[in-house]
Amino acid sequence: MDLFSFSINHRTAPLEVREKVWFSEQEARLGIHRLKEEHFEECILFSTCNRTEVYGAGAKTGVSATSIGEVLIDLKGAEDFVKPEHFVTGSSGEAVNRLFRVTSGIDSMVLGDIQILNQVKEGFRIAREEGALGPVLNRLLQSALRVGKRSRAETSISEGAVSVSYAAVELANKIFEDLSNRSVLLIGAGKTGELTVKHLVGKGIGHIKIANRTRTKAEQLVSALGGEVVDYELMVDALTAVDIVITSVRGPSYIVQPEDVERVMKQRQHDPLFIIDIGVPRNVDPNARKIDNVFLYDLDSLGTVVERNLGKREAEIPKVSRIIREEMAEFFRWHNSLQVGPTIQELRETIEAIRSSEVEKNINRFHPEDQELVNLLTKRIVNKILHHPITTLKEQSGNGKRKGEALERIKTLREIFGMGERQEGGSE
Amino acid sequence: MNFVSAVDVLVIGIPLAYAFLVGVYGRSFFGGSQRADRLQTPTLFTVVLLHVLYILLRTAAFDHAPVTTVFEIMTMLAACIAISYTYIEIRTKTTSTGFFILLLAFIFQLISSLFIKDLVTIDPILRSKLLGFHVSSALLGYTAVSLSAVYGLLYLLLYHEIKSFRLGVIYSRIPTLETLEKMSHKAEVLGFIMLSVAITVGLVWLPQAFESFSYLDPKLIGTFIIWTLYAGALGAKRALGWQGRKTMILSLIAFGFVVLSMTVINVYWTGFHSFH
Repeated sequence: MDLFSFSINHRTAPLEVREKVWFSEQEARLGIHRLKEEHFEECILFSTCNRTEVYGAGAKTGVSATSIGEVLIDLKGAEDFVKPEHFVTGSSGEAVNRLFRVTSGIDSMVLGDIQILNQVKEGFRIAREEGALGPVLNRLLQSALRVGKRSRAETSISEGAVSVSYAAVELANKIFEDLSNRSVLLIGAGKTGELTVKHLVGKGIGHIKIANRTRTKAEQLVSALGGEVVDYELMVDALTAVDIVITSVRGPSYIVQPEDVERVMKQRQHDPLFIIDIGVPRNVDPNARKIDNVFLYDLDSLGTVVERNLGKREAEIPKVSRIIREEMAEFFRWHNSLQVGPTIQELRETIEAIRSSEVEKNINRFHPEDQELVNLLTKRIVNKILHHPITTLKEQSGNGKRKGEALERIKTLREIFGMGERQEGGSE
Repeated sequence: MNFVSAVDVLVIGIPLAYAFLVGVYGRSFFGGSQRADRLQTPTLFTVVLLHVLYILLRTAAFDHAPVTTVFEIMTMLAACIAISYTYIEIRTKTTSTGFFILLLAFIFQLISSLFIKDLVTIDPILRSKLLGFHVSSALLGYTAVSLSAVYGLLYLLLYHEIKSFRLGVIYSRIPTLETLEKMSHKAEVLGFIMLSVAITVGLVWLPQAFESFSYLDPKLIGTFIIWTLYAGALGAKRALGWQGRKTMILSLIAFGFVVLSMTVINVYWTGFHSFH
């Protein structure tokens, strides 16, 4: 029994290939069915816009990574798009490592993004409903989800905003104590601006005002997000009564001048004003930044926040890798112990069978009074020969050798003694 | 005498304990060390208890509360700051400002330990109820303005980081600008009230106690400057609607004068505040 992984992801294939092998829930169920019938005793499949991954345990004879690929490609009718270089495969330790890297967030397109945890959970649920989970994948997925949880709790791999709109919200949260008694004015109706307001709503912003050249567009946004419409011509005056301003207007010149801000700051008694200028070209004269208690951020400065946070996340990779190593050791300790007990038993039985059949064949050559002694002697020899391999095996089941090393040894041993592949959970 | 030898050990031990404490908070704050994270609160409690023990032992050993010289006052002030911070840490459940506040406590304690003297006899003038009132309100006031200054400093550091897009460790670990401003302001108001009380009581008591008393004493002038600066900072906030950076700078200047008045003036001008 061994573990297999198959993956098409953002590192191996471009979007136009990935989208061809994206699986909806229904398709995933079909895929699991076929894989279970033809390839594995246990398997799980999950698919996002960045990756489609299959993990299998208890591979049937003749199963290879390419054959998994064939099933997926066949199901999706993507023969003309997906080439062998678009996917990566792994077995045993590689497979476990791959899954743990995915759930930890360090394999995500945006480092530390752990949206993937939900998708793995979803895949877990589907595989369970399809009866495709056995003891090995059950345990493996539990460990994988724990890797995700621990990475989030014990390291900062998912901390800090890594998109422009979130960076703006993070800053707002550093300036103001409680956003629920603060208000935001959105000037212009660009996508990023709208997204930022949505994030602020998510953080409980108290009040929303929207100003746009085309008033109907502002009205549409207000009906979607709540709040009130402000006349575009009066937007500078509106700065007096809000705490956060987001500007994303297309135009050749600044729509807010430093003098405007200066005047407004006096009116608002120098209460802090956070201006997020995401217009290209910029909407607010950068000189406004020099005014006390005015915090002016444009796309570039928000970009530095994002880069800083990504840098901090990168610095956390070693910590996450340590968690992955720990959980891998833990998983293989369990996995090896699954294999070791029955293997020892079988080894004893195989050797005993050889011994007793040889003794039986030749016993009559001995004197009747020596026959008992021959039995005893041969048993002793066998026991002595088996003693060392058995103790070594037992030790290995306890210390969780990395990357399935112990598993490999068990496999070799079985081959040497001609014991054949052991089927998971069975009593071959 | 047993008490005296215990005091002699603690006089060196307490600043060392504070140095260790500040180290633990620093490692947690700057290094993100998880071990330091777990260590900080237990260490804080231990150091505070040791400090209280030290003050009690001093009182017993020399038969007076350590409030009669500036260096005795400084160890009291360090203890008050540490105790107030312990209260804040328990209340707010965050340890992020600990390094800065405890660093100040450490500095006060270090100065105290370096210069404090074992005084067995004290001036009978100092056994006055009015003086007790004066000293306790001054201590509370100084503690409050010290905390206010630390919050003010953190405010300015964070303000600078956000303003200049150079987001560093302060940005990552310190509460919001608004929180810092509120904390600093509350502490400043409390400090200002307590210092006003202390000054009033002092002015009532001084002419009674000293014949040679003069209103031109450097200590008194220093105190008056401090009081005016704080009044100015608070007044500007109220009357002119000043917010944020400017008021913080004014408060920090005032605190600079506090430290100056406690150290330089008390040490180099032997005015009425030096009784020995």
